Amino acid sequence: MAESSTNNIIITLNVGGQLFQTTPQTLALAGSNSLLYTFSASTTTVFIDRDPDLFSILLSFLRTSRLPSKSLRFDLLDIIAEAEFYGIDPRSITGVSDSSRFDGFDLQKSKILPLNGRDSPSAISTTTASESVYVAHGNKITYFDWSLRRKSTLLTCFPEIDSLLGVSDSLVAAGATDFAGLRVFNVGKREVKATLTWKSNPLPGVGGNSTVQAIGSSPNHLFGSFESSRRNSNAIVAFDHTTLQPAVEFSRADEIYSSTATTANDLYSAIPSTKLQWLASSNVLMASGSHGGPSGLVGNIKLWDIRSTNGGPIWHLKERDDCFSDVTVSDTLSTIFKVGINSGDVFMIDMRRLTNGGSKQDGTQWARIGEVWRSTGASGKGREGSGCKMESYGNQVFCVKGENVEIWSEVAIASTVRDSGLAIEYGMVDGRVMRRNVMGKIKDGGCGRITKIGFGGNRMFLTRKDQQFVEVWESHVVLKL
Amino acid sequence: MVVMDDDQQRRIKLNVGGKVFETTVSTLHRAGPNSLLTVLSVSNSHPIFIDRDPDLFSVLLSLLRCGRIPYTAHRQFSNQEIAEEALYYGIDSCLRTAISPSLLDGIDAAPITIVQPTSDAFVSSFSAGSEDGSVWLAHAGQISAYDWNLSHAATVRTHLEGITSIGRVSSDVAVVGSTEAAGLHFYNVISDRRHVGSVHWIDRSDLRVHKARVASIAAGSTSVFAAVESLHRENAILAVDKTTLKVTHEIGRQRGSSTKTAVPGKLSILERKGLVFASAVSGGAFGYSGYMRLWDPRTRGMVWETIDPGSGTNSNRFGDSFADADVDREEESAIYKVCWKSGDVAMADLRKLGNEDPWVYLEDRRKAQNGDGSVLLCHRNQVFVAKHGGLEVWSKKEFGFRRNLVEREEHSKLGMIENIEGGGERLFLSRVSMEGVEVWETSDLSGGKETT
Repeated sequence: MAESSTNNIIITLNVGGQLFQTTPQTLALAGSNSLLYTFSASTTTVFIDRDPDLFSILLSFLRTSRLPSKSLRFDLLDIIAEAEFYGIDPRSITGVSDSSRFDGFDLQKSKILPLNGRDSPSAISTTTASESVYVAHGNKITYFDWSLRRKSTLLTCFPEIDSLLGVSDSLVAAGATDFAGLRVFNVGKREVKATLTWKSNPLPGVGGNSTVQAIGSSPNHLFGSFESSRRNSNAIVAFDHTTLQPAVEFSRADEIYSSTATTANDLYSAIPSTKLQWLASSNVLMASGSHGGPSGLVGNIKLWDIRSTNGGPIWHLKERDDCFSDVTVSDTLSTIFKVGINSGDVFMIDMRRLTNGGSKQDGTQWARIGEVWRSTGASGKGREGSGCKMESYGNQVFCVKGENVEIWSEVAIASTVRDSGLAIEYGMVDGRVMRRNVMGKIKDGGCGRITKIGFGGNRMFLTRKDQQFVEVWESHVVLKL
Repeated sequence: MVVMDDDQQRRIKLNVGGKVFETTVSTLHRAGPNSLLTVLSVSNSHPIFIDRDPDLFSVLLSLLRCGRIPYTAHRQFSNQEIAEEALYYGIDSCLRTAISPSLLDGIDAAPITIVQPTSDAFVSSFSAGSEDGSVWLAHAGQISAYDWNLSHAATVRTHLEGITSIGRVSSDVAVVGSTEAAGLHFYNVISDRRHVGSVHWIDRSDLRVHKARVASIAAGSTSVFAAVESLHRENAILAVDKTTLKVTHEIGRQRGSSTKTAVPGKLSILERKGLVFASAVSGGAFGYSGYMRLWDPRTRGMVWETIDPGSGTNSNRFGDSFADADVDREEESAIYKVCWKSGDVAMADLRKLGNEDPWVYLEDRRKAQNGDGSVLLCHRNQVFVAKHGGLEVWSKKEFGFRRNLVEREEHSKLGMIENIEGGGERLFLSRVSMEGVEVWETSDLSGGKETT
């Protein structure tokens, strides 16, 4: 320790009859808003009428930035409550909420969150701001707080919920494909905060009858993909987060089955979007949707700049052969990924090339990624990719296939390889190497087909067919509390 | 609580079993004026020595400091241990407020425990009966009382071979009856643990009224109502005064065991309206039949009646008789029934009973399961229906009623639910060939389990 006078001060605290001695520096680590910080200038012994054992754990945390293993003797909720009393951010203590600590390679199955009632989960959503999770099962939504130790359940008017988006710790948006309206619920008050509709629906007076195909969100907007009750018109509406009033309407398709309008080509653009994903780095909304037709599945992927939607999407891809079963964009990798419905293979499009090329339509090609030695299955009539889901989180992409989750990551290859003529040996596609792994151990499999997947903080959440619980996978688990 | 040294917030040291605790007078005073801790806080000898377990004291001190029991405490101590220690210090009322369950919400309820007597544990009848979440079980002629904390309070052996109906007359006294033995019997379960008195249905002018047995019991604030039936198939509802244990009224006397004249198997009291609800159901190979009646004990007159099948010929559900019915005792607003064939649930608004067909069927998109053998309970503004396939709940919201299956597949395999009762924020249910009574609660704890 340094010799300076301020560093020699020792603070004595009497907590519930037990004496603790520490330095002002240690107490200051609790943060300037904390109660302990106010004691760091105290010259006399401070008495605090609280439990000494719990205090000693918090003091250890302040000293070493990690919970001592003796904290295992305590219930996490007691430590959280005590931290809140002293004004220490409880999330910093557990470290679970730190998304920078997320590492897909380190994820392991750690918890099971049971859902009450007979219904299996139909949708799952984490919140972007905090690390809580919402799960829809039947006509109910259950909220688990960031510690995953507390829950509350809300009854909705929907017979079954198909789209779910956690807006904050108190607000969740939900919609169904067979029940009109996008509803925003206040979970704490267990009430409907707002019912959002597609007001300019082409059928006058029945705007409220539009159903919801997907929900998305950006820092400023909440997006709803609506389809009219007669299923012949659709649009995406952006609502302001604070006022919940409609701001922009785009991607509109009207009377798509009418005799006057459509060529087969237009049918592509008339497919309602079933996935909305916001790309923070480029301020762009990715909207995708697919539709089973006589010639198999067809779909479209559009990128929208919502500040100028009048000129149509900034990029548009029509999918015919081996249409996507699901598609996702990785912001950090600047890449669009899809899993093909027929082949079950994973493909990518580098978004940097897309802007460079300046192409607005179709010009770009999917590049199949994965092992070099695998032969392509794209020609097959099989539906290998049926039910596959894709999500990106951190710098990895996750593809759900049956009972397993594949994790896709980019391998950083020395730049000399690209020009060496050996690129093909490294399995390089567009100058990049993407590789996959299957997550978990053998014992983690065999629990049933995975239906939904979500990410938040350092966690992955997944639900399985006919199971009334949510599986939690965590990375960087120091102490299992 | 952060306490700077001053007279108001005087610090106080307690030596409990050798461990020194320091707290403030104001914290100890939260224990209430009659508590041992408040009394000790004025003592001049310091530290104050208390010859009790220090770890348990630490739990109770946390209760006074934060108003709740630390979750960690449940790893070390049982509820009963904590409750007994709280009783020693005289802070049991603080404990009660701190650990009472969350509001019962059927869509988010789960079984938390099974209350099981140690011997002859098949429960023939039980009474939740009180708002504090306690339950009294009748099993093989015994009555076992479990308190608000579901700790065993007392067991008394009655003279009956089997008890088929039980009610609670007071915090001490139970009223029991049997379909196999005559009379309505009062037993003190908690303090004296002895027989207090009996009531028999006697009519000096009619010899057929003799050795009447009890089909159902409902205990109200001043009277106990019992449906009784003599060996000669005479039946009636008796009103018995709770203090004198004398019959005050005889209501709805009738003869026979046909659909219209059978003894009611279920009685409920609408205290504020001053009415008694009686229902009789008989189920057989050809379906169900039965009646529901509302009686006014003061006039001994029938206020309303419906007979299934029969009176509802203009009902759109003719032939779909009710399998069970219950009246919403808390709101006193409606009667609910479950139909045996369709399994549908219907509601009759008590204000609209004069209508020809007062029944409004609750709708849900998901098809109901057959209602054969159903049991229906109204509690906490929700309707619980136990069926073969499990327990379902109808929750009332601004957008109407919604149905949910509360029970999971694995629960319903435990056996068919025979009876359900609500008590406070708890739901109690008994199953065929299951020992004890299941207790269901709603909790805000996620119940997440670590995988290893």
